[in-house]
Amino acid sequence: MNLLLIDHEDSFTYNLAHLLSGFGNLEVKNFYDIKEKSIKKSDIIVFSPGPGKPSDYPVSLDIYNNYKSKKKIIGICLGFQLIANGEGGTISKQEKIFHGYQTYIRTNSKSLRFPNNALYQVGRYHSLKLKEPFNSSSMHITMRCEETNVAMCLESHKYDICGLQFHPDSFLTPNGKQFIRKIIQYKK
Amino acid sequence: MNNSEILSVLLNSDKELIIYRNSDKNNFEIYTDFAEKVNLNIGNLDKFLNKLERFKSYKPYDCYIGFFGYELLCKNINLKVNKDNSSFPEGVFFRPQTKIILDKQVKIITKSKSKLLKDLKALNKTTSSNSNKISVSPNVQVYEKIFNKFKKNIRAGETYQIKIAQKYSNKKDLDVVNLFFNLMKKNLSPESFCVRTNDFNIISCSPENLFKVKGKKIITSPIAGTVSRDKVKSTKEARKFFENNQKEDKEHNMIVDLERNDLSRITKANTVKIQNLKFVQKYQYIFHNVSEISGTLLDNVRLSAVIKAMMPGGSVIGCPKINTLKLLNKEEKEPRRIYTGSFGYYRSKQDMSFNIIIRSILNFQKNNEVFAASGVILDSTAKNEYHENYLKAKSLLDLLK
Repeated sequence: MNLLLIDHEDSFTYNLAHLLSGFGNLEVKNFYDIKEKSIKKSDIIVFSPGPGKPSDYPVSLDIYNNYKSKKKIIGICLGFQLIANGEGGTISKQEKIFHGYQTYIRTNSKSLRFPNNALYQVGRYHSLKLKEPFNSSSMHITMRCEETNVAMCLESHKYDICGLQFHPDSFLTPNGKQFIRKIIQYKK
Repeated sequence: MNNSEILSVLLNSDKELIIYRNSDKNNFEIYTDFAEKVNLNIGNLDKFLNKLERFKSYKPYDCYIGFFGYELLCKNINLKVNKDNSSFPEGVFFRPQTKIILDKQVKIITKSKSKLLKDLKALNKTTSSNSNKISVSPNVQVYEKIFNKFKKNIRAGETYQIKIAQKYSNKKDLDVVNLFFNLMKKNLSPESFCVRTNDFNIISCSPENLFKVKGKKIITSPIAGTVSRDKVKSTKEARKFFENNQKEDKEHNMIVDLERNDLSRITKANTVKIQNLKFVQKYQYIFHNVSEISGTLLDNVRLSAVIKAMMPGGSVIGCPKINTLKLLNKEEKEPRRIYTGSFGYYRSKQDMSFNIIIRSILNFQKNNEVFAASGVILDSTAKNEYHENYLKAKSLLDLLK
């Protein structure tokens, strides 16, 4: 299996790369330096975390829109927001900023990849959030922050797409690899 | 002359030398008789690093010791920096032929003792004291403007943590070796060093190692979190302080993940481990909150890849590193030169160590400069952080009076 990790020049991308490397051949490419060939040969496209907002990365948004129905797509943090944005969602500032926080999140019954009503402890680094109401016929919010109710996971019921607002790559997320495994092993 | 006399003559001469604290052995090493001196710039950096890869030390004194300046390290990762119009080198490495170990006894290991003795011409320094007035850049108004701009950048998620540096400078001749040992009596930091050359001098009491390579293993020990010993009395109290201080704790988490990331660029998958999370180190005036993270280097990893991944050290810059450096370089007008660069030694691909240059005085062309930086925090004010910087620089500024 070939994985392509699109790096938005974050200081957490390579933590994610180490998590992903056990699942296949991993290629890490800067967001401004992606060749069509890399995308074509990949089975899974992963959008890394990164500074700023989705609209700062038009090329990544294009890749999402072009391949969302064709390949497994995973987004982490900014990657989650790219997916939300690609589905018509708005990304906005949040009152309380979560940088370096460990908090609890809970799954709901809409999840296809994770058990219902499960509580997880996760690490978080985000200034921005998915603005709600978020209306999409195929994309569902399947995890929320216990404290603020902010969306923490998006799963598609139509395509093989999953985004996490938190960081499975952080040392603040125990068993971070489990999240990645469940997403990768999920078959549409 | 016995060894102590030789050392005394050497220290009191104006011969080029480097003093480096070896905290593992709790002594000082003095390097001199430089057979080679390499001035670095972005044009020759890769060539130099390639040369180091082929170098291996067989003698205790043989190594390359020196520093990479901040601007060079930024250019090395393709970032724009402010132009430094002075002739200050962007990095310098020396290859010594004499090493003197200053312990309970003085031990001299040298290629040629007769040469060393012949070279030692005791020359009294001319100490013509100049103005002691210390100037600060940026001033409080400009600092406040940058601070508030960065607050907006944090709110917009463009940086998660960012540290603005300030420069304090004055004009005065320094007796660097004496000042260095005076400073060591008060503040014996694990990564202290002193460089005396014909062109410039450095006194540093850096507490922070950026990375050490021992065999295949690479270790980094980032510091994030500082508290004054006036405020808390014991290591135990300091630990409690750091645990209860939400701001410091979250910042520390971020730096741990950042350093895990930087190590992950050059290490084998799943070998990066947090060896020691959030332990307290005690200094003369302050306590530090430190973590230790290690990994196993990739087979055949290039030295240039190690430098690119690790430098400049993230804990003194902010996170994410690249965009934060871009924001800093856009707003800061003073070249940082040595500040937040790295000083260290290279003996072989399996044996090197580099620190982060902070808490340092650079003496160059009769000008002394000290930098200090602190983080932009959403619930803090520019004036508070401006003052915090002054406190951080104070023990060094006292030396300039």
